[in-house]
Amino acid sequence: MGNESKPPRFPSGTVRALLQTHHVSAATRAALTERIDESARPWSPRFFNDAEIATLRAVCARLTAGDDLDDDPDVARTIDDRLAEGRGDGWRFAALPPDPDAFRLALRGIDESSTALFGVAFVELAPDQQDHVLTTIQRGVAPGTVWQTVEPSLFFQDLLSEVCEIFYGHPIIQEEIGYVGMTDLPRWESVGLDALDEREPRPLPGDHVESRS
Amino acid sequence: MRRFRHDEEVDAVVIGTGAGGAPLLARLAQAGLTVVALEAGRWWQPERDFATDEIAQAELYWPDERLSTGTDPIHFGRNNSGTGVGGGTLHYTAYVPRPRPADFRLQTEFGVGFDWPLTYAELEPYYDELEAILGVSGPSPYPWHPQRRPYPLPPLPLNAPAQLMTRGCASLGIATSPAPNAALSAPYFQAGIGWRPACTHRGFCQAGCSNGAKASMDVTFVPLAVSAGAEIRPASFATRFERRRDGRITGVVYRSKSGEERQHCRHVFLCAGAVETPRLLLMNDIANESGQVGRNLMAHVAPQVWGRFSEDVRPYKGIPGALISEDTHRPPGADFAGGYILQSIGVMPVTYATQVARGRGLWGPALREHMRSYNHIAGINILGDCLPSPDNRLQLSDELDHRGLPKPLVSFNLGDNERRMAAHAERLMRAIWEAAGAEGIWVFPRTAHTIGTCRMGATDDMAVVDADGRSFSVPNLTIADNSTFPSALGVNPSLTIMALALRTADRFLSRIKGG
Repeated sequence: MGNESKPPRFPSGTVRALLQTHHVSAATRAALTERIDESARPWSPRFFNDAEIATLRAVCARLTAGDDLDDDPDVARTIDDRLAEGRGDGWRFAALPPDPDAFRLALRGIDESSTALFGVAFVELAPDQQDHVLTTIQRGVAPGTVWQTVEPSLFFQDLLSEVCEIFYGHPIIQEEIGYVGMTDLPRWESVGLDALDEREPRPLPGDHVESRS
Repeated sequence: MRRFRHDEEVDAVVIGTGAGGAPLLARLAQAGLTVVALEAGRWWQPERDFATDEIAQAELYWPDERLSTGTDPIHFGRNNSGTGVGGGTLHYTAYVPRPRPADFRLQTEFGVGFDWPLTYAELEPYYDELEAILGVSGPSPYPWHPQRRPYPLPPLPLNAPAQLMTRGCASLGIATSPAPNAALSAPYFQAGIGWRPACTHRGFCQAGCSNGAKASMDVTFVPLAVSAGAEIRPASFATRFERRRDGRITGVVYRSKSGEERQHCRHVFLCAGAVETPRLLLMNDIANESGQVGRNLMAHVAPQVWGRFSEDVRPYKGIPGALISEDTHRPPGADFAGGYILQSIGVMPVTYATQVARGRGLWGPALREHMRSYNHIAGINILGDCLPSPDNRLQLSDELDHRGLPKPLVSFNLGDNERRMAAHAERLMRAIWEAAGAEGIWVFPRTAHTIGTCRMGATDDMAVVDADGRSFSVPNLTIADNSTFPSALGVNPSLTIMALALRTADRFLSRIKGG
């Protein structure tokens, strides 16, 4: 099978173009347009301080690192908004402190581990060093006293899940994976293997990689 | 909608409007009773309010924090905790196979678990009635129960995951069939409800159906109840019961936007689900003489197997659970009690990405590359029985929520039986996916649904309610939701919650008529 090692590449702009059509409901258009537009508005953190948000941004950058395009969604911003507004997702591991405490402690822990392993704070590290620190956290073996109160691998699992939710919930990243499920009006006619409606994006030929516009 | 005064003594207050509360509410109202339903969540207008967007639709899931512990902490959220008029049915997959008669007698058959104090035969007329009201689309004859009454509508079309599972199962000699789904394959009319349109194959059942094709309670039993004179009060969270010295409840206290309110009533029906029902009882310290409230919490064994196919799958299209096999109800080579059903699954990107995060731990370039194959991903999962264990339980934690009430603390450990069943199913599903041509097969270990915590039984020393849902100790308190299930049943619970609710209502009505 031709694409077993090479996942398909999809053209950019697909979702953004379809949002303007009758294939999208008003509620869907409002939700997705707001998500695209909010990144252009000025913003400052309400929950984290400047140092914390810088560390969290650096962590999120590694967790979502790929083609390193500069319009990737600001995942840390969405996390800050959630914590500032006191919202949760309906549950947490009882072994972890409440989210606001867990995040503050964990960000301290990340710097503690970075300092123990490389002598400087996380934001000062090279990407491969940052990845090393994050791997020790994911595996539950990160050095530092903070991790005695925040179980590192559980925190990492929760963080990664939230990062994935925010990242793959963003229309621009959904374009990358060829998802256009939001264009569900009036209906999907073609349901089944290799069955595509006209508006569904086709993969780009060969190894073509298009920059986002 | 009819409205009642708070100081008027209504016949019944129903707490919760999901698969338990809504059918029961409709039945009581149709019998001429004065009834008020309290619903913690909002009353949505799906066509106007529901976006085809998983992030926006997170409002359908219970927002208040549950604390999870044990060796296998339950992940709450998407698959087991709805809020809003319609409850969990707002986000259920609408996969509605019936349980088998044997599922109700696990103790008799295997010597483990707990028999139900009622039989399949007692629920069968309610399954027939429900499938007609909901407009279930399914195959007739049904391969594993050919004598049953035909489904009212033909099955929905098979999406790509269903076609792949058909292919894999066929090469292994496993029978499959289009699944029964409570979503309409054609426009459908019911008196008191009106016309509902056919499914448009949005694939979005788990995050809210926007056109009413899926039979959630807000488009079926809620309009039936309202047209028969019931009042629904959304954004009303029940917190306390007022009681007489003899133990009878005289009123339900709840929080609404206007503050604390109370509704006087003759009877209370608690239909808040397997977390909030026991939580409310424990907070009020009632109906727990048996010490069983909160115990025997069960969650279906529900591992998912995912794989990548060379064909275009586009897993966001079509009814997510389009295919079923019941060949594994009592599978050959089983080293466990009970059994499971097999189901094909489509998936939305955010749900899949979070599973990749928790199940694979992928991040950075590995995550991005994996997710680029999203349009070629398809899954299978099982829904398997879970034995009750008294140590799997819900308690009140010391931590308070934003209302100042104790958060629920839920402890769950998979038992040996569940682990053996999961291992059996994972082997089988891997084989099916290999036979279907999948690459990169991986298993997401998982449980689904919350069941039990206020089980029904014959006697008050080992159960919270009797077979009619009546509390053994509070004379006018009845429970009708998934908390009363004495065993988990090897199928999705919603249809049985509804059947039990209709039966509970009928038993109640015949009792009060008889004086």
